[in-house]
Amino acid sequence: MENISHLAGRQWLSSQMDFSTKKGITKIKAIINDRCSRCNAKVWAKLPNGKRYCRECIGLGRVVEGDYLIRSGEKVNFPQTRNGGLTWDGKLTAQQEKIAKDLVQNYINKQNTLVHAVTGAGKTEMMFPLIAHCLAERKRCCIAAPRIDVVNELFSRLQMAFTKIRIGKYHGHEYREPGLEQLSICTTHQLLKFFHAFDLLIIDEADSFPYVQNPGLNFAANNALKNNGRMVYLTATPTKKLLKLVKIGKIQQLKLNRRFHGHLLPVPKEKLFLRPFLEGKRINPKLMQEISKVIKAKHPLLLFLPKIDLIKPYVSALKNEPEFKQVTIEGVHANDVQRIKKVDKFRRGQIQLLVTTTILERGVTFNHVWVIVVQADDKIYNTSSLVQIAGRVGRAKTDPTGLILFCYQKYTSSLRNAMKQIREMNK
Amino acid sequence: MKKCLLCGQYFISKMSFLHLFSLPQKNCKSICDHCLKKFIHIPEKHCPICSGNLNQNKICSDCVNWQKIYGEKLIINHSVYLYNRAFHDLMVNYKRYGDYVLYAALQELCAKELSEYKADVYVPVPTSSEHIAQRQFDTITALYGSLVPLTNVLGKKSGLGAQGEKNRAERLRSKQSFFVKKNFTINFQKCTVLLLDDIYTTGRTLYHARDALAKIFPNAKISSFTLCR
Ligand SMILES: [Zn+2]
Ligand SMILES: [Zn+2]
Ligand SMILES: [Zn+2]
Repeated sequence: MENISHLAGRQWLSSQMDFSTKKGITKIKAIINDRCSRCNAKVWAKLPNGKRYCRECIGLGRVVEGDYLIRSGEKVNFPQTRNGGLTWDGKLTAQQEKIAKDLVQNYINKQNTLVHAVTGAGKTEMMFPLIAHCLAERKRCCIAAPRIDVVNELFSRLQMAFTKIRIGKYHGHEYREPGLEQLSICTTHQLLKFFHAFDLLIIDEADSFPYVQNPGLNFAANNALKNNGRMVYLTATPTKKLLKLVKIGKIQQLKLNRRFHGHLLPVPKEKLFLRPFLEGKRINPKLMQEISKVIKAKHPLLLFLPKIDLIKPYVSALKNEPEFKQVTIEGVHANDVQRIKKVDKFRRGQIQLLVTTTILERGVTFNHVWVIVVQADDKIYNTSSLVQIAGRVGRAKTDPTGLILFCYQKYTSSLRNAMKQIREMNK
Repeated sequence: MKKCLLCGQYFISKMSFLHLFSLPQKNCKSICDHCLKKFIHIPEKHCPICSGNLNQNKICSDCVNWQKIYGEKLIINHSVYLYNRAFHDLMVNYKRYGDYVLYAALQELCAKELSEYKADVYVPVPTSSEHIAQRQFDTITALYGSLVPLTNVLGKKSGLGAQGEKNRAERLRSKQSFFVKKNFTINFQKCTVLLLDDIYTTGRTLYHARDALAKIFPNAKISSFTLCR
């Protein structure tokens, strides 16, 4: 019989491959009570033969009525590694150190944790002792992040810190099935492939879009965790749902309201606009003034727009401005094939003004960057994304301040709440 | 409020007073405006033979190549949309992942255009039985079956692999795999026939389908219709 030990902690469909006779394997109906057993979505779509199927998680292979979900509960024996493979010799600040210690203690106490840390607090580094502790116990750990860029960035930072451990990296552009690494970093969607796999699951950016939009991912995260496993949520703006779990004692909250360099968060400036931001092919002169101040101050500028369709007209309008003749301006958005290249150029200073959608709202660090958010009253910007965007500024130790400007026409509750949160964290 | 089949967002399908008097609109019940905008119609200026992209010449480079093989006997093909990223993603969901209910969205996208090309018989380009078994539905029949009456005169030999998994050169090299089903009693002679497929990529598939039909019914007038080009 085929050896399937590489599938420990995984789940798959009987239509993909069926090893249901093997030891350590369990199977359940893929659809139970109108719900998909893999993603918990309500199942309504029907094939012509009358069988229902799940549309929600169809990208991982179609769950059809009558199929089974096969799960491997096989044990994995990881080797003992010194200090859990952690070779990082950086130093945590006193505040980071405190959180890091509490995290390890919570792990030992089988306590789930919510880390509420301001943007730029250095939360990845704070996780190192916890991850090392888990790995040193020969346990399995996974970090799930909402987006591919964030996964890539986390991966390279963890690789530098844990040089003695092979780390798995899995997302939609890797085109590989998860392996048996003791430490994995993946996009949240990949969690749907696991069942009772991890002893420690760290959910990065727990407030961000996929979880809020898609309750199935919470379901997937809970499924991917072992029965006695521990969950850690990381966020700069905890959702109401998470805070509720804190309140009823299911999760313990740890707060860190100083950035790693000890400085306060830059408080956004707000500016009311009466006329449209872009009229015909011209940028509103008042907005131009603001943009040009940043350029003159020689700071790289991220200009946030609410919609992809707006990128092109803004870029060409900006390029048409005579005073920006010498300025390199580019636009970037989620479907841009040159996205990684452009972001890299911006980081190296070869692009001075980068017009972007919310794809750059989190998980990226640009030293010295200043930020202007156009149409900050658009409904695409919720409190958490505004806080994240503001958090792009002042991240460098040598340059902890900077301009973040919200331009709006109508004040929104998201703007109010974002301002309130930032001021509160600064208290 | 309707839920968009493509993005899952709720939207209001437009049936305003204004629309009652305007030209026939796409009656969209399953695609929201935002998603609809991503599908781009074939431009006014296109290859008169295959609806393809035109450069300097009168016909596109694909048709120039087909001319070398078929001379004057080129298929007139009508397509509705450019095969752009958005359409690619939609077709991947429909065909590769087998998201059957998307047929409703695809129908809405082409119902009006298809009604402009009247024919005596509509012949779907067949899918291999392995693929139908795997998906548990026939992509072309599901798409066009409730828009026009289909005549399933063509069959496809099995075990040849999907066109979608081949590159351009491999597609062009692929051998004839269609045949007219035995015991087929309808006489197609002198009929106008519209072959129906989803995507015109190289034209290889449609030319094979046409050749198979024309071999048995040499006097039939055969043209084709696809969603994308
Ligand atoms: Zn599902
Ligand atoms: Zn939509
Ligand atoms: Zn042509």
